[in-house]
Amino acid sequence: MIRIAFAGKGGSGKSSISGTFARLLARTDRPVLAVDSDPLPGMAYSLGIPVDDRPAPDDVVVEGPEGGPRWVLRPGLDAGGFIDQYAEAGPDGVRYLQFGNSWGHWSTLQRGQHAWSQVVKEMDPNAWNVVGDLPGGTRQAMFGWAKYADVLAIVAEPTPKSIQVAKRLRNITKADWSPDHVVVVANRVSGPEDVRRISDALERPVIGAVPDDPAVTAADKQAVAPLNGGAGPFVDAVAELVTQVESTYDLDIRSSD
Amino acid sequence: MLSSVPHTDTVIVADLEAGIGTLTRLPEQAVEHTLVIVEPTPRSIDVGKRAVQVATERAQGNITVVANKVADDEDNERVRSAFAEFKVVTVPTDPVVIKADRQGVSPVDIDAEAPAVAAIGKLVNLLG
Amino acid sequence: MRVAVVGKGGSGKTSVSGVLARSFARAGHNVVGLDCDTNPNLGLSLGVGDLETERLLSLRDQIDEGEQSHAHTWDDILQTYGTDAPDGVRLTVVNRIDNPEPD
Ligand SMILES: Nc1ncnc2c1ncn2[C@@H]1O[C@H](COP(=O)(O)OP(=O)(O)O)[C@@H](O)[C@H]1O
Ligand SMILES: Nc1ncnc2c1ncn2[C@@H]1O[C@H](COP(=O)(O)OP(=O)(O)O)[C@@H](O)[C@H]1O
Ligand SMILES: [Mg+2]
Ligand SMILES: [Mg+2]
Repeated sequence: MIRIAFAGKGGSGKSSISGTFARLLARTDRPVLAVDSDPLPGMAYSLGIPVDDRPAPDDVVVEGPEGGPRWVLRPGLDAGGFIDQYAEAGPDGVRYLQFGNSWGHWSTLQRGQHAWSQVVKEMDPNAWNVVGDLPGGTRQAMFGWAKYADVLAIVAEPTPKSIQVAKRLRNITKADWSPDHVVVVANRVSGPEDVRRISDALERPVIGAVPDDPAVTAADKQAVAPLNGGAGPFVDAVAELVTQVESTYDLDIRSSD
Repeated sequence: MLSSVPHTDTVIVADLEAGIGTLTRLPEQAVEHTLVIVEPTPRSIDVGKRAVQVATERAQGNITVVANKVADDEDNERVRSAFAEFKVVTVPTDPVVIKADRQGVSPVDIDAEAPAVAAIGKLVNLLG
Repeated sequence: MRVAVVGKGGSGKTSVSGVLARSFARAGHNVVGLDCDTNPNLGLSLGVGDLETERLLSLRDQIDEGEQSHAHTWDDILQTYGTDAPDGVRLTVVNRIDNPEPD
């Protein structure tokens, strides 16, 4: 089982890649839970789920006991039940959880964060592979939302702006809760020299290189997911990323931690 | 900080964090103009609409929509029809902006007459 | 005059802000670029370069280290925590998030 979260500059391609990755991973007959914590959710689109703005409701949590976490799952709701009830069923068998919503207040996201960290802790460790889509920038990753991840995949484009954000995200390894693996996925590359530019700047393993694919942008204009919109090179590259992840990490048994 | 700036003849261009969080936290009437940048995609338009609503509610000055990365008439129309009640300024998809970004320089310093630079320059008189 | 630039991540806020600030300056205005992103990069689109953008320490960092922002005038802030960009634009940065929060 793997728990991987995608982070990077806003617009770097996190949602497009993570949603496509989740579906292609699910096509290998593995259970996949897609988790979108962006207050501007983008994963529903890339999964091809026609929902937006349907975050887990505020009342999934109640105030926690003195000295414990601020919010805990409401009595009677356990991790499995939470996923059953709130994870939307999507194409290829992916289940989709949405926590953010830009209308909701900051407190909605905070409750969601508590709910989610409890769910992750208490769910059957071998029930789900988790694929997460974090918001742009460093804020949420640095403030605890990336804790669930074993692998933090930093999406970086061959531009100084994108590389700057990626460099800051590497600092996550300073946290005692850091994901074990911090790796890079290069996006919108137009050749090996772009990949080299990114890997030289970041000095982290580049586990995938996704070319600029105009079909992805075109599909996005019609609100069509990359996998449903005839994107060729993009989908091939994300498929390769899945293969790479399959060969690097044990996706079938979760080591106890 | 933005709202505490003295009212002078200085033009202050504030590049906010993505989304509408900062806009929500800004005191009312903190600015004279809000520029809402939208790409011709449904998701970007959706965020733009939320930004417009917050900026209106909180009286953040005159609202101008910038339709950015517009490739054709269809793109332009997609944004204009979504923001029919607002001034919409079109900025084309421009290789000069992409090149500038890859090199880490300003588009103005690559080509001050590039289509996107010229289109953004028109905002000077519009906001003026 | 104060102009706020908003939108989705990647929509082009920084590119538009940078070019707009330079255009105002070229038209003879006194211009300040205020980078309010927690991952500041307006310097790049203004044309001050990668290194200078990185060097420009955030106001927030320094204010957090003991100095109070209200102890300064706006001009002081621009002077102490700003840098010069081409065409006479002055750039300053509000805050940034570089490191993880402890548990
Ligand atoms: N490899 C690519 N080729 C072409 N367009 C891409 C590619 N990756 C992302 N895009 C486009 O870039 C924009 C931002 O992508 P998105 O996945 O929403 O980014 P993020 O979630 O990081 O903000 C979207 O319009 C998307 O269709
Ligand atoms: N008019 C344009 N034409 C082509 N590319 C553009 C245009 N405006 C922005 N871009 C590209 O979009 C990406 C995001 O731009 P940026 O200004 O950093 O956005 P934001 O500040 O909203 O995150 C950059 O790669 C930039 O080159
Ligand atoms: Mg996204
Ligand atoms: Mg920006």
